[in-house]
Amino acid sequence: MPPARRHEPSRLTSRPLLAALAGAVVVAVALVAASLIGSSTGKSEATPPPVSAAPAVRDEIFRGVPQNGITLGSPKAPVTLVEYADLQCPYCADWARDALPTIVQEYVRTGRVRLVFRGLSFIGEQSDTALRAALAAGEQDRLWDVLHGLFLHQGAENSGWVTDSLLRSFGGTGLDSERMLDSTHSSWVEGQLLAARNAATAIGVPGTPYFQAGPTGGALEHLNVGALDADAFRRELDRLLAV
Amino acid sequence: MNDRVLRAALVALSLAGAAVSAYVLYARWADAGLLCSTGGCETVQSSEYSQLLGVPVAALGLVGYLVIGALATARDPRARTAVAALALAAVGFGGYLLVVQLTVIDAVCDWCLASDAISSLIAVVALARLLRPDGWWLTA
Repeated sequence: MPPARRHEPSRLTSRPLLAALAGAVVVAVALVAASLIGSSTGKSEATPPPVSAAPAVRDEIFRGVPQNGITLGSPKAPVTLVEYADLQCPYCADWARDALPTIVQEYVRTGRVRLVFRGLSFIGEQSDTALRAALAAGEQDRLWDVLHGLFLHQGAENSGWVTDSLLRSFGGTGLDSERMLDSTHSSWVEGQLLAARNAATAIGVPGTPYFQAGPTGGALEHLNVGALDADAFRRELDRLLAV
Repeated sequence: MNDRVLRAALVALSLAGAAVSAYVLYARWADAGLLCSTGGCETVQSSEYSQLLGVPVAALGLVGYLVIGALATARDPRARTAVAALALAAVGFGGYLLVVQLTVIDAVCDWCLASDAISSLIAVVALARLLRPDGWWLTA
């Protein structure tokens, strides 16, 4: 009969192993459950399917370009381009999709042009929801990322497309989406809403998108571009930069 | 191979895992791009699966690796079991996230794969410690 001590290990070996396996199962199941709960909470509010692809697109456009509140680009840029837009305006989305990436790449990233966003919300309730979220992101200096993401995912007017799930999908890479959702009625956001409304009223913005441009810190003029493609803006921006 | 060597290996692997997690976490908070050969790191990093109830998964990974590393320095049998449990849980959760990357997000992140490899190695070493024929009760 083998000594008792030789038997003891085999009995004891299974005990810590079983304990480790049991612990691992409990922890792993809890982690997976938390992950599934988090993702299903987001998906319960009809989100457009390709949200996961959008942040990478935004990152590419804005990565490394300085943002400060509602502005994009170097404060020392010689020319400022101001955009008045409603986040449910389809032409504004066209501009964001077709012209903005080129303008950022060629003019903003190179420090020649600074963009300023003035958000209006006249199309409906969802315009206000989207605008407040974008401005709240501006408090974290990430307005342009959210703005662009919203334009890329723009749905039919007031169809409920501006969901918390969509807004949360813009989180990460420098944006705390929960903080953004919590600060949509902050005094800073209210101040920006009022400032944009007042500025639009003062210059008589007839509709969106509406653009003004001019020397940074100087008088701005209405840009009558005729088209919303990058070439039309290139012509105007080059003209202003040459002054 | 004595237990000291295995514990040293666990500490080294945990530090490597913590470094990977810290890098991903830094890139997330500093809005810096991730070095990425698959091109999917930013997509994964920006997806809703990159956080767990509002906490970045990379932060959980960092804490997990540091806890494993700290526990690995102890010779206590309960610490040994806890290291194995945490490592196996990390492998399980990492496997789940890999399936999510492949089937839901449709993008794969290099750094997640690196973390999966490290947690798998930790699990192997941790299990080796549990299953050693001479057993902790004889050598600890």
